[in-house]
Amino acid sequence: MAKTDIQLKIPSADFYIEPVRAFIGNLAQSLGFPRKRVADIQLVLDEVCSNAVHHGSANDAVGIKLRIAVDAHTLEILVRDTGSGNARQKNWLTRERLLEIETNRSPSSERGHGIFIAKSLADTHEMQPNEAGGTDVRVVFHLLKPNTVEV
Amino acid sequence: MDSTKLMKLRETSGIKIIEITTDLSSYAASDLRKVLEGLLVEKVDRVVVNLSQVSHINSTAVGALVGVAKRLRQNGGDLKICALADNLTRTFNLIGASSVLEIYESENSALAAF
Repeated sequence: MAKTDIQLKIPSADFYIEPVRAFIGNLAQSLGFPRKRVADIQLVLDEVCSNAVHHGSANDAVGIKLRIAVDAHTLEILVRDTGSGNARQKNWLTRERLLEIETNRSPSSERGHGIFIAKSLADTHEMQPNEAGGTDVRVVFHLLKPNTVEV
Repeated sequence: MDSTKLMKLRETSGIKIIEITTDLSSYAASDLRKVLEGLLVEKVDRVVVNLSQVSHINSTAVGALVGVAKRLRQNGGDLKICALADNLTRTFNLIGASSVLEIYESENSALAAF
């Protein structure tokens, strides 16, 4: 299977994350990911997009971009935001902010679990500032080898 | 979103039962938080959240459940969860919410725990 790119842009609003979650679930299932892994991929997509909408968008209209790359062995998702409207903290990906989120996260926290979930469930998780002043989050999921049995 | 599409509300022996009828992604999670906070305003003190029809929950929704449970406990009440599918249990365990929330296999066992 040749590598294929799918590009989407959705408004920066929670409402539009759900159809993308459904799409990525169907795509992962079609690629042969096991049921549990499909649920992981959908959860990571939900968390990453939610962060982009809530922390990386100045308003609904700016939107977030997704680039989904698939081949026979991997599903890669890149979520790109353009940064919040807050001039002092346009890019929410600062070393200090990430450290603060990680340090403060606890089972009784109401917020701040999204990055932890993405890091825990994706085979690769990378975050970096982009040229638009926002954040790129890239997650990669590898297909199990054909002889690997789902437990 | 119309909350009646999101959940069914019932009451038995003074315990409010919320039966969620949709997956809890970002959009539904914010509505769940509003409904739960509405119960706090109404001075409801005992709540069971039945997740038997839910196949996806994100951290925003789990956070809303944890937050409301903490506030109910401050007033002597509680929020208990029941009927989690396997992948929901994994999400609760990953976040650590399983150690904060009381989770039961069935609605009856959650009700009996009050």
